[in-house]
Amino acid sequence: MSEVIQRDTMLSYITGSVESSAESVAIRAINERGREDLENTPFPTRKDEDWRFVDLKSITKSQFCKLEEANAADVGDISDHYLPEAMNCRLVFVNGVYSEELSSVEDLPNNVIVGNLAANADNNSVKEHLGTITNYDDDVFAPFNDAAFTDGAFIYVPEETVIRTPIHILNVFTDAEKAFYATPRLLYVGEMFSKSTIIEEHIGLADNQYLNVPVTEFKMFTGSNVHHARIQRDSKKASHVSRPIAILDKNAEYHSYTICLGAKLFRNDPRVIQNAEEVNFTVDGLVLIDGDQIADTHSIMDHRFAHAGSHQLHKVVVNDSAHSVFNGKIFVAKDAQKIDSFQENRNLLLSENGKVNTKPQLEIFADDVLCSHGATIGQLQDEEVFYLQSRGLTEQKSRELLVYAFALESVESMEVESVEKLLLNEVIEYTNRDEK
Amino acid sequence: MLEIKNLHAKVEGEDIHILKGVNLKVNAGEIHAIMGPNGSGKSTLSKVVSGHPEYEVTEGEILFNGEDITELDADERAHLGLFLAFQYPVEVPGITNKTLLREAYNTIARANDREELDPIEFEDYIIEKLDVINMKDEFLSRSINTGFSGGEKKKNEIFQMAVLNPTLSFLDETDSGLDIDALKVVSDGVNKIANDENAIVMITHYQRLLNYIKPDHVHVMMGGKLIKSGGFELAEELEANGYDALEKELVLNGEAQ
Repeated sequence: MSEVIQRDTMLSYITGSVESSAESVAIRAINERGREDLENTPFPTRKDEDWRFVDLKSITKSQFCKLEEANAADVGDISDHYLPEAMNCRLVFVNGVYSEELSSVEDLPNNVIVGNLAANADNNSVKEHLGTITNYDDDVFAPFNDAAFTDGAFIYVPEETVIRTPIHILNVFTDAEKAFYATPRLLYVGEMFSKSTIIEEHIGLADNQYLNVPVTEFKMFTGSNVHHARIQRDSKKASHVSRPIAILDKNAEYHSYTICLGAKLFRNDPRVIQNAEEVNFTVDGLVLIDGDQIADTHSIMDHRFAHAGSHQLHKVVVNDSAHSVFNGKIFVAKDAQKIDSFQENRNLLLSENGKVNTKPQLEIFADDVLCSHGATIGQLQDEEVFYLQSRGLTEQKSRELLVYAFALESVESMEVESVEKLLLNEVIEYTNRDEK
Repeated sequence: MLEIKNLHAKVEGEDIHILKGVNLKVNAGEIHAIMGPNGSGKSTLSKVVSGHPEYEVTEGEILFNGEDITELDADERAHLGLFLAFQYPVEVPGITNKTLLREAYNTIARANDREELDPIEFEDYIIEKLDVINMKDEFLSRSINTGFSGGEKKKNEIFQMAVLNPTLSFLDETDSGLDIDALKVVSDGVNKIANDENAIVMITHYQRLLNYIKPDHVHVMMGGKLIKSGGFELAEELEANGYDALEKELVLNGEAQ
């Protein structure tokens, strides 16, 4: 008789059961499906190829409870985190729960919806697309979000509509007595020839442990265009596992920029799926980590039809004993000719104990494509440091300036001035930390 | 101003000895040229004087205005008024010329208890200095040496020299890779900067540069030593007869090994 080896599931690290309390039938149906997947999918270990390099201890050595049981602190004044450009275009979620009081949505063009999912559960676009875009095989995190979410952000941009102000989706996490979990959710539906800029931010206000498992779904109809910045500044004890996915119809453009600064463990699996010919997309990333932080990006750029242009620049700076993992997959299906895809992963190692694993992975089944990739791991060059030092800058200042310059390119893609400024300050803080 | 005494230096951590007893004295208002064949140690000398961590001084000393600077870091030497124009200026994408120069200028000012310049004052100051190398304002907002032509890189070195206003500058093969027009601009720049209070040491393989910047003293470097010194006529002699002839002559006179 063969012995059945029982492996842990995600639920092993969750106190109590994940019961749905969503009012909406549609959301409850997704919860139900998520729960089923969750019960039947083993939690990943290092024996799984996609998790080989990453230490999941900060999840598996803990128990995470529902927010209600965590005795979480009040949010207080968070107006410092508001973006001046998006003062009237902001959705705030506190520990994953929508805050109508802190959100502010005014003066949007006709028929645009920027609101919470629960209040828009009967909207046809929500019914049609929510939960249909995420597509992660053998995954436990997207199903966990599916099982547990009751609300989230919903953005709907009608045909031929351009939203000039950036839309700020602000997820803040407060201090709490117990480690809790949160499952932020974002559904974006861009109708034909619509255009907008989304700033999705995750901020840990305190230094506590929590588990943040966001899922974002972008449905991009013909000719629609989105600039999606994701800024992760979770608490340095938090674990953040993201599932952002976009599906692109003809002539759609989706440009995403993920900035990783916080969290003890950050795992991000961005996926962009081409659903018709002639699309354009970007899956850029900037990772600045130190201490014992782990940041792991597993991306998929999935070219299924002809004529796509795609681009990925993933930049990483590692200090102390931090550890960065990058696995960038570029898929090109058999008939997807004339694809122009470019991937570059550049790593800057500032310490002896820092670690970088990088693996570009191109799987190309079409014969008329232009796909290239490159990965570099380097340290600051002595000659560069000496050059700046010979001009009078201290060694420390010279090194700072060089790290700053390395990160700058990614920050400049933000397009929103206050976000650029905020990130530049973060970069300066990261590089200045040793200065007395 | 500068006094180098019996300077010996080797590559840090390796048994490669490059400088084998260099003696050199430079006074304010002087322009010196150090010439020599490839591998003679010319560039190393300029790097050792400016404090490159790749080299270790094993013997001798470098006095700058009477102070022994042999153990100082490169930035501390820059604060005292030393400058090195690089043979191969380093590209730093993402940092503009202006950002570097303001940081450098103010760091040096702070170290010398001089007043720092705010961004607006600095802008005025630096724009004026562009004339030295005939460059336009946009030169300031370009990333340091990134995508610059060979000539632009060398002009940028001279521009930095003009802005930082050092008392002693080493120009390491500043003429290499320059076409005739660029060479003229660069030499013009150096001539505008040179005055009675500062000093310049040019390191070059060819006499070409010396036609535009007239040195008061010419030294020949071979085998890690300055083996012969003289006036401008020494440069002309070298141009006519080459380094081999000089080496032979010295051997005959028993002056070289």
